[in-house]
Amino acid sequence: MLAVENLVAGYPSGGSVLKGVTFDIAKGEVVALLGRNGMGKTTLMRALAGQLATQGGSFRLDGRDLGNCPSYVIANEGIGYVPQGREIFKDFTVEENLLMGVLGKPRLPNRLPPDIYDFFPVLGERRRQKAGTMSGGQQQQLAIMRCLVGQPKLLLLDEPSEGIQPSIVDEIGRTLQAVARSTGLTILVVEQNLDFVETLAGRALFMENGVIADRADRIGQLRERPELVHRYLSI
Amino acid sequence: MTRSARLGLSLTVLAWAGLGLAPLALDDWNIGLLTQYVTYGIFALSLGLIWGQAGILCFGQAIFFGIGAYSMALVTLGKLPWLGDSQWTGLALAVLLAMVVAALFGWILFQGRALSGAHLAIVTLCAAVVCEIAARRWEFIGGFNGLFNVPPLSAPNGDPLSTNATYFFVGIAALLTYLVSLWIGRSPLGTVLAAIRNDERRTLHFGYDVRLHKIFVFTVSGAMAGFAGGLFTTQFGFVSPPLVGFALSTEVLIWVAVGGRSVLMGAFLGALAVRAAENAMSSSLDQYWLIALGALFIVVVVVLPQGLFGKLLALAPPRRLGRGGTR
Amino acid sequence: MQATIALLLDTANFTLALLLVTLGLVVIFGLMNVINMAHGEFFLIGAYVVVAVSNVTGSFWLGLLLAPIVLAVVGLLVEWLIIRHIYHRFIDTILATWGLSLVIKQGVVVLFGPGAQSVPNPIPTAVDVFGVQYPAYRLFIMALAAALALATYYLFFRTKLGLQIRGVIANRAMAASLGINTRRMDRATFAVGSALAGFAGAVMAPIMSVDPQMGVGFLIPSFLSVLVGGVNSLVGALIGSGVIGGATTIFSAGISQADAQILVFLLAMIIIRFLPNGIIGGRK
Repeated sequence: MLAVENLVAGYPSGGSVLKGVTFDIAKGEVVALLGRNGMGKTTLMRALAGQLATQGGSFRLDGRDLGNCPSYVIANEGIGYVPQGREIFKDFTVEENLLMGVLGKPRLPNRLPPDIYDFFPVLGERRRQKAGTMSGGQQQQLAIMRCLVGQPKLLLLDEPSEGIQPSIVDEIGRTLQAVARSTGLTILVVEQNLDFVETLAGRALFMENGVIADRADRIGQLRERPELVHRYLSI
Repeated sequence: MTRSARLGLSLTVLAWAGLGLAPLALDDWNIGLLTQYVTYGIFALSLGLIWGQAGILCFGQAIFFGIGAYSMALVTLGKLPWLGDSQWTGLALAVLLAMVVAALFGWILFQGRALSGAHLAIVTLCAAVVCEIAARRWEFIGGFNGLFNVPPLSAPNGDPLSTNATYFFVGIAALLTYLVSLWIGRSPLGTVLAAIRNDERRTLHFGYDVRLHKIFVFTVSGAMAGFAGGLFTTQFGFVSPPLVGFALSTEVLIWVAVGGRSVLMGAFLGALAVRAAENAMSSSLDQYWLIALGALFIVVVVVLPQGLFGKLLALAPPRRLGRGGTR
Repeated sequence: MQATIALLLDTANFTLALLLVTLGLVVIFGLMNVINMAHGEFFLIGAYVVVAVSNVTGSFWLGLLLAPIVLAVVGLLVEWLIIRHIYHRFIDTILATWGLSLVIKQGVVVLFGPGAQSVPNPIPTAVDVFGVQYPAYRLFIMALAAALALATYYLFFRTKLGLQIRGVIANRAMAASLGINTRRMDRATFAVGSALAGFAGAVMAPIMSVDPQMGVGFLIPSFLSVLVGGVNSLVGALIGSGVIGGATTIFSAGISQADAQILVFLLAMIIIRFLPNGIIGGRK
């Protein structure tokens, strides 16, 4: 479904960070993207979301090349992005934040589906509250729901557990798993928390110096082959 | 030295040599015009120094030019009897007063949380408007009509200088101003200014007193503009409120942007080129000239941010910043 | 007492007209980080549309209706021809729109001559307001400007389109990643901002001297209003216009107009100097 081929991308001023990334993800898969800091994981996510221009190579979603599309086109083609640091609209209410997830999608009705608060009930309790006043975990739940309400085919999740209390991390993991199973949502997740990765993902890619350096085709291999974790993750 | 830097240096030297030889080719009338353009060139240098080197976009540069012009006129017309009526005194007052006002204004603008970007542009623009209105209301400096019959530059014996002598006097003044600006830009101080232009906050965190550097360069620039204003008055023979105002402030911005804001020589030649083009075309294009100028300005800003001469005239970085970055 | 009421009415009148121009500036600056130096000339074009239309057809009202439409088109053209090429070069947007203002101003001189034009007052009666005979047309301006300002606030704070625009202002990249067409928002905002300025110019034409310099005369007070009130905030625009508009009319009542202008500028500069984020300050 997602086919990334020899993707080169980076920042306008500082040359390229991604130096030819190639991988595929099939529909319904949950894939973890692992690697130490500074290896290009977030750059890859931003490039796939259209926030960074691609300098070479391509990526296709269901066969359509999205390499040089602006991010609003990419979003409408079905790639949803939950960035590191969540980037919710702090001055908007929870409900307004969620609305932002559908208003840009002409093919969706421009109001919220009635069952939206079933996934994370706390959002329903606080729907008239300013999003900036909530805890980090609640903001992360909001960012994920804001993305899911736009019905993406592929969800890009960047460090969803960063700085969040463990109970909420569990809740997020279970909810995403349930959504992925019931809707066939495809997920690419960057994550440092290996427990979280093991509950959610089916396989893993390892990134080093701007390329996909290795892979674990079953998530169980993270435990069976400790040298992989040691090689690509330990500091 | 790279090829482009060698080209920049040769073209810069060539431009000055060409200006020096101009009297051989041009008649008195055209030399008189060229003298005016060179005076505007000094004015453009003053803006090039703060804008191109330190990134301070000032929409009120004519304030200092006008202060210089009025100072020269007041002294040489004997309106300030305790100062005498010598042109040297006039020129000195033009420079000093503009410098003091620039220092004060710079202090107001840059002390504490410095104004920048839009705030700076709008505050300086408003200051220019205020000064123009104030000049119109102040009877001592001639009010709405300004001051007339300012004497032209004279030799020590009191005779007016010949056209060519005036030209060389102004030309040498311009060359000196250029060399001072160039020296500031290429000195370690200039490197700090360039750092401020690129990233003010980072420069501050490296421990440089950004505020002081900005006020200093603003003051020097004000003095240069005042100097240009003083010279200007002697050529035109009169001063009036628009000289401190908003229209001239924006004209000088156009000259500098069209010539090339990042290179001092580009700013200088920008003034000469635009004024010369105006002279050549305003008669044939008549009232369409201003439209053409505005359109040229837009095109340069959008398509050629380096200006017409910026790329050509760029000099090599100072030697102390040469390969390896050793001092 | 009567003088006070008349002064209050004049203040409200000028403030509301200023608010229309300022609102356009604020939304354009807030959304696109573009300082539109030609905004005053959009006001100018609005006034001259009224002059041209009432010369040709004899109808002021048709001109008033056409002015915002013409300016919306002008805004779209300017955005397409100039602004979209220099979005990320903040200083260059100031310079390029400044060049544009020169072109427009001189274009008006070429078409209509440098002199002042006059537009006859379309409602030449006076109305009794608390014992003051006040020109009916000025009351009409106030009502219209207030209604339009309210409509703008409604658009931005109560509609889904407004929510999207505010989202783009708050975080452009994230809004785009949620599928919001930021280019379309830019174009729409520039057109609406321009139309507001054009409308203000048109509605003020009968009570001002319509000449090629009138744009600058309005540009500077509205810039000051933006900075005094607080950049990036529609509420700030209201406060800023109130301060600048109020101070201008009140000072003008006591002293000559030129001195009043000097005082207002000085006052504004002091406020900007000590409150760089504007009167509403911390609220961004």
